[in-house]
Amino acid sequence: MHRLCVYADLVSLVCIQDGGEKASFDSREGDCLSSSLTPECFDALIPEYRQTPSHGRASFSNAALITSTPTMDTAGRVQIASNFLLQSPPGEINDVLNDVRNIIADDEALQIGVKPVLREYNLEQFITVDCPGTSHQCIISEAARIPTGSDENEEERFLDPRSKTSFVFDHLSLEASEPQPYESDVATEPFRSALEFATQTYLKAHFYDGVASVFSKGNGAQEYTIQVVANKYNPANYWSGRWRSEYVISFDQGTVTGKILVHVHYYEQGNVQLTTTHDVAFNLPPGITSGDNSAASKIVALVEDEEGKYQVSLNETYQEMLEKTFKSLRRALPMTRSKLDWDKILGYKLGAELAGGKEGYTAS
Amino acid sequence: MVELVDSMLDLMRRLPPTRTEENVDALITICPEYADDLLGSVDQPLQIKTDRATGRDYLACDYNRDGESYRSPWSNEYDPPLDDGTVPTPRLRKLEIMANEAFDTYREMYYEGGVSSVYLWDLEDGGFAGVVLFKKSMAPSSNQEPSGSWDSIHVFESSERGRQAHYKLTSTIMLQLTTHQASEEGGENERKVPSAATTSGNGKYKDIQFTRKGEVTLSGSMTRQLEQDWPIHDPSSHITNTGRMIEEMEIKMRNSLQEVYFGKTRDVVYDLRSVDDLERARRQRELQKELVGFIKR
Repeated sequence: MHRLCVYADLVSLVCIQDGGEKASFDSREGDCLSSSLTPECFDALIPEYRQTPSHGRASFSNAALITSTPTMDTAGRVQIASNFLLQSPPGEINDVLNDVRNIIADDEALQIGVKPVLREYNLEQFITVDCPGTSHQCIISEAARIPTGSDENEEERFLDPRSKTSFVFDHLSLEASEPQPYESDVATEPFRSALEFATQTYLKAHFYDGVASVFSKGNGAQEYTIQVVANKYNPANYWSGRWRSEYVISFDQGTVTGKILVHVHYYEQGNVQLTTTHDVAFNLPPGITSGDNSAASKIVALVEDEEGKYQVSLNETYQEMLEKTFKSLRRALPMTRSKLDWDKILGYKLGAELAGGKEGYTAS
Repeated sequence: MVELVDSMLDLMRRLPPTRTEENVDALITICPEYADDLLGSVDQPLQIKTDRATGRDYLACDYNRDGESYRSPWSNEYDPPLDDGTVPTPRLRKLEIMANEAFDTYREMYYEGGVSSVYLWDLEDGGFAGVVLFKKSMAPSSNQEPSGSWDSIHVFESSERGRQAHYKLTSTIMLQLTTHQASEEGGENERKVPSAATTSGNGKYKDIQFTRKGEVTLSGSMTRQLEQDWPIHDPSSHITNTGRMIEEMEIKMRNSLQEVYFGKTRDVVYDLRSVDDLERARRQRELQKELVGFIKR
């Protein structure tokens, strides 16, 4: 359910501003921010602990260089800040947006600048949405986008091929609206539908909270796209994760090209991220056609095998990084297998020399 | 109202650690007046510089910077040279020289390579503060070997109370590990070269050729704090005291890093996807329940 609450405060901002009552929004700001920015967030970095040396040259070079240039206009600042949104870890776009809002401190300018970026993020990250009129979720992505005609003002629509429904997607509230029946491509629908069935079976077998969509390119092309996404957000325990995968099956080329992308964020007293990319390409089994009854399940079996092997190989990579890199970067203990004898390290000579230097740092 | 600097720190805690430098620069561009706060509170990877006088490598960070020059702990000289660069008082410099030697021994014992640097400065209240830095990088010996880097930043403050000193230590370790992968399997290749890569394949799909390419990156930072009191016999006690604290801290943090990097992040992947067939497990559980019910009857 939390999915619906994402961007909730910016949505309220939009509504209220549209109603022309900016003042009432300000009074709500505290609530909105406190919901996602907890004081514990900052336990890791307590600024007062980090006293920098008080140098004669008070201001730092890059700062001085930048301040000498005229202050950047708001549009430019929003553009830079937008780049932060695209780097947002899984399920944390709302937190990043809150930070950016506070930093830019110009909601009106931010609203205008941020929408195309949120759209880009949503498409790229396979954001899921409850498909109207159904009990399932579908994926927002480039493959799900229905190409717009020549009319520039035409509203962008997305497709849920499973229910053959098209809808308008709000990139701020992450909600679908205005559902319409969608007429699927007659020539490719039987195979697409078979591929979808096999994919949903695979999804249930291997993902805890997965969503999958299967698209047909149509227009006479024998090209299909399988997209899978699984998310787990656990802000209470400071972690989140996302698995995305995509396979483009082309009977015209006789190939399958796929990718798997994993992103994990662990941020209790720190910021640790796992990012992986895996590109795979293979040819379709010789002789296979979209007319075969078993073709769809054969292809999904190959995908299942590839993803399973990848997940196992990830374990091996972890092991290798631990043994080869982590352990050689820093030893758990010195060769002697005991901690250092600090008195010995310092040596009597050095210690004596300094002690003889009359006023040391010890208060006399 | 949330402080602006808090929003910035929250942001840095969420954005990819591999892009910290770029993102700090971007934040400074947006809010130049917060440059000092950001540079002072967001840890960035340490830069390795070479001391012109001694030829020894040292580490550059915000704590040995004056303007655009960095001071070497070995020669005490700034590069590019400064006539009026801030240097520790002679007394403190003496301790700094000693600390650099001691922590360089520590570096050799634990890191077996890499670079270390210690910088000290006086505090206005009469005490002093310092930073102990370690950096080690590993370049891959081949394309498929993992590479990595470790940066330790230990900032401490010391205040003396009679024969005791109170230490506040804030330690940050930045760790990055990357592995590139590429392989070909099956099809024509399998018949021609039964190499290591192909024997690992299951040979199930003789007529299908796979090409694979990928990258795995684990990166991030972790910060911990510790306050302790230690006795002081002479000035060098500050080095043995902070040395013991830093050693203890690094041992603990290395354990935490190992747990988070190789345990927690892996667990999240397995919370997303299961290698084993979940449906089969579900059916088995149901079957078991039925059997139990059957026996009970």
